[in-house]
Amino acid sequence: MFFFTVRRIIASVLVLIASSFLVFALCAASFDPLAKFRQRQPPPTQEYLDGVREQLGLNEPFLVRYWHWLTGVLRGDFGETIGGTPVTDQLGGRLLVTGRMILLAIIIAVLLAVIVGVIGAVRQYKPSDYAFTFLAYVLIALPTFWFAAILKEFVAGGVNDLFGQQVLYTIGEETPGLSLYASGWELWSDRIGHLVLPTISLALLSFASWSRFQRSAMLDVLGSDYMRLARAKGLPYRRVVMKHGLRNALIPLTTVVALGIGTLFGGAVITEQVFVWHGMGEYLLQNGIGQNDINVVLGWLLVSAVFVVLFNLVADVLYAVLDPRIRLA
Amino acid sequence: MKLSKRGSALVATGIAGAMVLSACGGGSSSDGGGSGEGGSGQVVFGEPTAFPENIYPFISAGNSTATQTIIGRVLPSAFNVSPDFSVTWDENILASEPTLEDNGGQQVNTYEINPDAVWSDGTPITADDFAFTWKANRSADPADGGCEAVLSTNGYANIASVEGGGDDNKTVTVTYTEPYADWQSLFSTFLPAHLMDNEDPTALCETISNGFPIADGIIDDISAGPFQVKKENIDVGGQIVILTPNPEWWGEPAKLARLVIQNVGNDPTTTVQGLQNQELGVVYPQPQLDLVDQLDGLEPGVENKITFGLTFEHLDFNTTDPILSSLPVRQAFAMALDRQEIVDQTVGQFSSDAQVLDNRLYVNNQPEYQDNAPDEYKSQNTAQAKQLLEGDGWVLGADGIYAKGGQRLSIRIDTTANNPLRQTTIEVMIPQLKEAGIEATFNANPDIFADVDKPTSLVAGGFQAALFAWVSTPFVSSNQSIYYSPENGLGQNYSRIGTPEIDQLLSQMVSEPDPDKAADLANQVDQALWAQMATLPLYQKPTLIAYQSSISNVEDNASQTGPLWNAETWAVSS
Repeated sequence: MFFFTVRRIIASVLVLIASSFLVFALCAASFDPLAKFRQRQPPPTQEYLDGVREQLGLNEPFLVRYWHWLTGVLRGDFGETIGGTPVTDQLGGRLLVTGRMILLAIIIAVLLAVIVGVIGAVRQYKPSDYAFTFLAYVLIALPTFWFAAILKEFVAGGVNDLFGQQVLYTIGEETPGLSLYASGWELWSDRIGHLVLPTISLALLSFASWSRFQRSAMLDVLGSDYMRLARAKGLPYRRVVMKHGLRNALIPLTTVVALGIGTLFGGAVITEQVFVWHGMGEYLLQNGIGQNDINVVLGWLLVSAVFVVLFNLVADVLYAVLDPRIRLA
Repeated sequence: MKLSKRGSALVATGIAGAMVLSACGGGSSSDGGGSGEGGSGQVVFGEPTAFPENIYPFISAGNSTATQTIIGRVLPSAFNVSPDFSVTWDENILASEPTLEDNGGQQVNTYEINPDAVWSDGTPITADDFAFTWKANRSADPADGGCEAVLSTNGYANIASVEGGGDDNKTVTVTYTEPYADWQSLFSTFLPAHLMDNEDPTALCETISNGFPIADGIIDDISAGPFQVKKENIDVGGQIVILTPNPEWWGEPAKLARLVIQNVGNDPTTTVQGLQNQELGVVYPQPQLDLVDQLDGLEPGVENKITFGLTFEHLDFNTTDPILSSLPVRQAFAMALDRQEIVDQTVGQFSSDAQVLDNRLYVNNQPEYQDNAPDEYKSQNTAQAKQLLEGDGWVLGADGIYAKGGQRLSIRIDTTANNPLRQTTIEVMIPQLKEAGIEATFNANPDIFADVDKPTSLVAGGFQAALFAWVSTPFVSSNQSIYYSPENGLGQNYSRIGTPEIDQLLSQMVSEPDPDKAADLANQVDQALWAQMATLPLYQKPTLIAYQSSISNVEDNASQTGPLWNAETWAVSS
């Protein structure tokens, strides 16, 4: 297991380097950080533009620029944005924002996916299975931005009307300025009120496809010989399904969920935008691609790639937890 | 479902993790200012543009709309642009209207600072602050004691000296080496000398290059306006800046206890639902038709207003193009257009106040605006357009398009990609031009603002006609680089044509410190530009402000001053 993990980490580092090189090449070829200056009226002097060019290192050969960036990263320095703010400082904050938004949603989504998947498999072709299948496909088909807008319009509007006061919020993490004059329960309930809608939106949309994986994995397991053997030995049905069935059926879901979580840390781009959480996804789109800022894009790439790799490792470890045969190997 | 011990442990770890992450949230500490500093109530302003990295306005990183929103009512300014685009002196900062004198060919301005004016740490505002602002922006050349990070030295570079005098150093005398028409645009935002000045130019340059990073706020939380920005009231993660009343402010105190500037992006649905759910008080989004409709649906709880701003759309003809190098072709092109129809189909949809723009240096609602368009361009004039083309040797072909020497009269109009308003503009033009025998095509050009290395960029000149925007201003000198002859360097003269007469008028205009005379010269420049017909103004772009009707005194200021120009008078009725 240890050598397996080490091998995986080394391979991941190589993948990270290769992908950062590719993205660097793409950004260097297409980004034009000076474009915004040329639209100024009157434009800055040529000397000024040359100075900016020099400062951003745009005059250096491509490979030299990449080398500077790479050696910087090894020292923990992701470089500066065009505006001169260290990228390293911003990535941490952005990651926390995204983390706060997705963590609860993931937990809810996984629990729901397992429960609904197992019920669907155990009661295959019963009304409950049809109902959950229908619901899952509807949720899978819904575009995120639309679902989120519906939640804001009807759920937030409805609940707030019902209580006659602000309970659910549609923008940001907390009512701005609230921490200046409130504390304790008022502050926490406000934060929860802000978290509810993004969590529902993310959890339902992720749960839908995950529940389908869980259902089909469970169906596979239910039809296998060892399940019949366990029943034949006289074990109660419930115990067979939980202990022998569910445990094995969790392995495929682990892979899917691990990949999904890793990707979500790169930013739930649309959910962030609709609910105005300034997380990783917005950082890539607005500060990186929007500003033609190569250091931001690469910093984002590296951090989100690390999360994908990390959660894949977690998945590998979880296989071992779920399946003793892997531990022995 | 019964969870195994390991399973419950995993879930518990996850939930604990979520709680830890949430605990790191929020951002601003709970003991921040806000109470006991006068004013009552809170208004949230939804800022549509990107959160600024820096709020020092004189460097590139801080040169943004969002910076102006934050510092506009915090750092002092000698002159302000009013909602009607007139330029007025700030009666809180100054004691009397600044004077303009001609001292033997030298421009001399004298400012009397209000005796009560103080920075929020109690230090009086004096001539030293003017002198320091000049010093910090006078030069971008380190050999000259300047700083490379300075974004623009325009105007400040023309100043010979800034001297203090009078009681308590409150009289400022600014002497220019060369006269400068836009002297009123200088010292709009001036800086606290007592906190930033340094004898050593290298150390000063470091201060300037560093600016005011948003995480640190304005140096020493200093203010000389109705509001102040305290460092603890800046939440970088949440992209929220909270302005609170400045207790040392000597003018009419701010009525609000807190003015929250929250970056909400430019998504119309978010804006509308934020207003509907009472989370946003005032928003200033990019106008879009469906957005305006939705906002109308929120009346009377939410009010909205369309104003026409300083940004205007126009056509540039590339006079180095073989077809458009001919003056009659350019004139025919302009006459063939029904600009009223273009306005009706585009910005006219927002408001019936939309008008055709007949001036390149001023927009319709500026006080200096004159309709300089010759009569033949006032309405669609297909007959005269055809006449002009035929006089130039063009022959109408069987397909209804003119041709000359095997060359079809076909013109590609470039514009930026993904801009529906501009696309509609060109789509309305195409059939109008067709009537006059001119074939026009639409081309979304993603490289339009790229550098010379992209051949189809404006700078490289690989286009025929281009539709894009300029921003008009009460300060005329920014127009010089657009219309100055290319022999003086291309600047932003993408049509690549000029005349000695226009050059002469432009140089006179930029060195005419009397605003009325400068405006007169600017209108003369525009008249000459109509004769040259290398650019054609079309229409002003609208701006949109919407606010809860419980907030009083909100009024758009479509100039660079922005909608927070009178934020100290905003009040909330409960």
